[in-house]
Amino acid sequence: MTDPLTPPEGLDALSLDRRSFLRTGLGGALFLGTVSVTAGLSGCATAPAGRLGAVATRMDARYQFQFLSADDIELLEALLPAILGSALPEQANNRRIAIAGTVERIDMGIHKFGPANQKELRQLFDLLNFGLTRVTIARVWPAWRDATTEQADAFLQRWRSSSIGLFNNGYMALTKISNVAFYGYQENWQLSGYPGPPDWAVKALPQFRKA
Amino acid sequence: MSFSDRIAQGLESGWKVIDGATLTENHTAEADVVIVGTGAGGGTTAEILAKSGFSVILVEEGRLYYQKDFKMDELTSYANLYQEGMSRTTKDGAIAILQGRCVGGSTTVNWTSSFRTPDETLNYWGKRFGLDALSPAAMAPWFDGRETRHSMSPWNMDPNLNNDVLRQGCEKLGFSWQIIPRNVKGCWNLGYCGVGCPTNAKQGALMTTIPGALDNNASMYHGLRAERLVMNQDRIESLEATAMASDGITPTRVTVTLKARHFVVAASAIGSPGLLLRSKLPDPYERVGKRSFIHPVNASVAQMPKLVDPFYGAPQSIYSDEFNFRNGVDGEAGYKLEVPPLHPAMSAGVVPGHGDEQAKNLAGLPWMQSVIALVRDGFHEDSPGGTVSLRDDGSPMLDYPVSDYLWKGLRSAFYTMAEIQFAAGADKVRLMHLDSDWYSNWADAKAAIDRFSMEPHRVRLFTAHQMGGCAMGSNPEESVVNGFGEHHHVSNLSVHDASIFPTSIGANPQLSVYALAARNSARLAQRLKA
Repeated sequence: MTDPLTPPEGLDALSLDRRSFLRTGLGGALFLGTVSVTAGLSGCATAPAGRLGAVATRMDARYQFQFLSADDIELLEALLPAILGSALPEQANNRRIAIAGTVERIDMGIHKFGPANQKELRQLFDLLNFGLTRVTIARVWPAWRDATTEQADAFLQRWRSSSIGLFNNGYMALTKISNVAFYGYQENWQLSGYPGPPDWAVKALPQFRKA
Repeated sequence: MSFSDRIAQGLESGWKVIDGATLTENHTAEADVVIVGTGAGGGTTAEILAKSGFSVILVEEGRLYYQKDFKMDELTSYANLYQEGMSRTTKDGAIAILQGRCVGGSTTVNWTSSFRTPDETLNYWGKRFGLDALSPAAMAPWFDGRETRHSMSPWNMDPNLNNDVLRQGCEKLGFSWQIIPRNVKGCWNLGYCGVGCPTNAKQGALMTTIPGALDNNASMYHGLRAERLVMNQDRIESLEATAMASDGITPTRVTVTLKARHFVVAASAIGSPGLLLRSKLPDPYERVGKRSFIHPVNASVAQMPKLVDPFYGAPQSIYSDEFNFRNGVDGEAGYKLEVPPLHPAMSAGVVPGHGDEQAKNLAGLPWMQSVIALVRDGFHEDSPGGTVSLRDDGSPMLDYPVSDYLWKGLRSAFYTMAEIQFAAGADKVRLMHLDSDWYSNWADAKAAIDRFSMEPHRVRLFTAHQMGGCAMGSNPEESVVNGFGEHHHVSNLSVHDASIFPTSIGANPQLSVYALAARNSARLAQRLKA
């Protein structure tokens, strides 16, 4: 594993004048745009994954992905164990179901983000999926499907503690969409000790009554 | 199940409500007045004009959601009721923007806090922007009227513990605190204001002015996006709008052209400047989109020894203005102290973190308490606000650089919030900053805050109040509309929302919007009758 204190290879070459870099944000970052184009040309799978044959064993085959590509799904499958930690079930099958459900809800959420923020997330995912930038910027050597939870966690820690605002922003984007989709889901409410809407209110309100 | 709520009944009785998603062909419609936006400003304007006998068309980009849809679920509500599915941020991603996108606008999802515009703010507007007509005395009857219309009064039940901690901390430290007035009628004290009131107790636009307008023959399109106002010589002739599919975000190919004698834009402090910019309306001094304010918010969470259950009970009932105007209206940045409700998804989005540490943070939610500080921006030369501009696709975005003046106020707010929480008996406190740990006493927290680097992204920042961008003022060189919300350069255009505020308010803005919109709509009705 790489030493998190060493400046990442290739980053100097991007000439990170800190203030202008920060100001560009995820949206204006030219180099991210370049990555998206490059990734597209080099055949990265950026098209929505649609019905996933290969991961059908893990995914609800009825779910039609609207934003996440097959590569994005691999990325999230590598990151979620590091992002969710001990909140994920240990039992293998339950764990797979929890991860797959979270990935689907992330996709549903992103669909509602609308075009502008989808574009920004596309750039972020492409940067992380594209081999050259995954290695030089995220500093994750193996492909995401081969990355360990420790490597995923180290990546998250680097982006969290980085003095570069853009990486902090990427850390927040990845953890926020994951944490919200996971902890906000009814079946996971118990993990935050939230009993859900009060029973008496649910019983009294017309919108909860079956037709 | 049949519903007997105000909206279901109205739809049943034949209200003219058109869902853009059901339109299959382009069409044109005409009225005396076309109003863009159905929130605090648009709803008020529509009801007053419709009751004065004018034909009114309301246009809303979001969709119509009401009691049948309000099931106290965060994920569906954030996805459907909020701008950009709750993912809206400032341009650099550093400030999360909570803003409604549905019929009723932000009033459908706000936490019901109902404050008059502070006297200090109105007096500052008079002195600085030539808005003497908006003095506290002149505005008082308009606040009275709107307080009645929206059933606003100080919360008369006990605050939940989440809010009471703010009260207790202030008491201990000798800081002032007050009870928050709320716009509710028969509130069940559940705590779900932010995801659409499930009981119809909240008296936002959805339960008051929108039904009032529709009862008086107004028609309303929802799922219809206002694209541009089209000028013919010196007047606006029509509004071009695009229908959205039933997912609320995918435009269909159907366009609607709406013609009127007068146009009122009330599409929010981000949406209204966006529409004016897309329409390329006359703006000789390039004022549209400038001086956008947000009450930048930072936050602190505490772990309390007793169960807080911060997800239950009226979300906001206690506030402190101890630090709001302490340094004068235009001195060092002041801030209002309030409390946010904490449900699982909200907490997971606000408290930064991942892994086992985050699992532990969230497992502590029932004992979690939070204080927020809303910084009063726009009253000082070092707080010039942000800028709304258009992305390539024509959608508006807000660039909001946080000045050193504001960082200073935000750091000061971190100290205050942690001190209050410890004074109220917190076991541990954590500031919403990427470098913050949990601190078990005030001295440790203070020492840590001393060292915080106050930078975008590291400090977690939020805004639920968007203001400015079409500022009112007597001088056209530094404003977009006059003190009645009338456009300086286009005679049949008014702006009736929070975008006309020349500074932030220094309090949750809904009553300021209602009151100004009521005043300016009464004036508009007179003008149109003449």
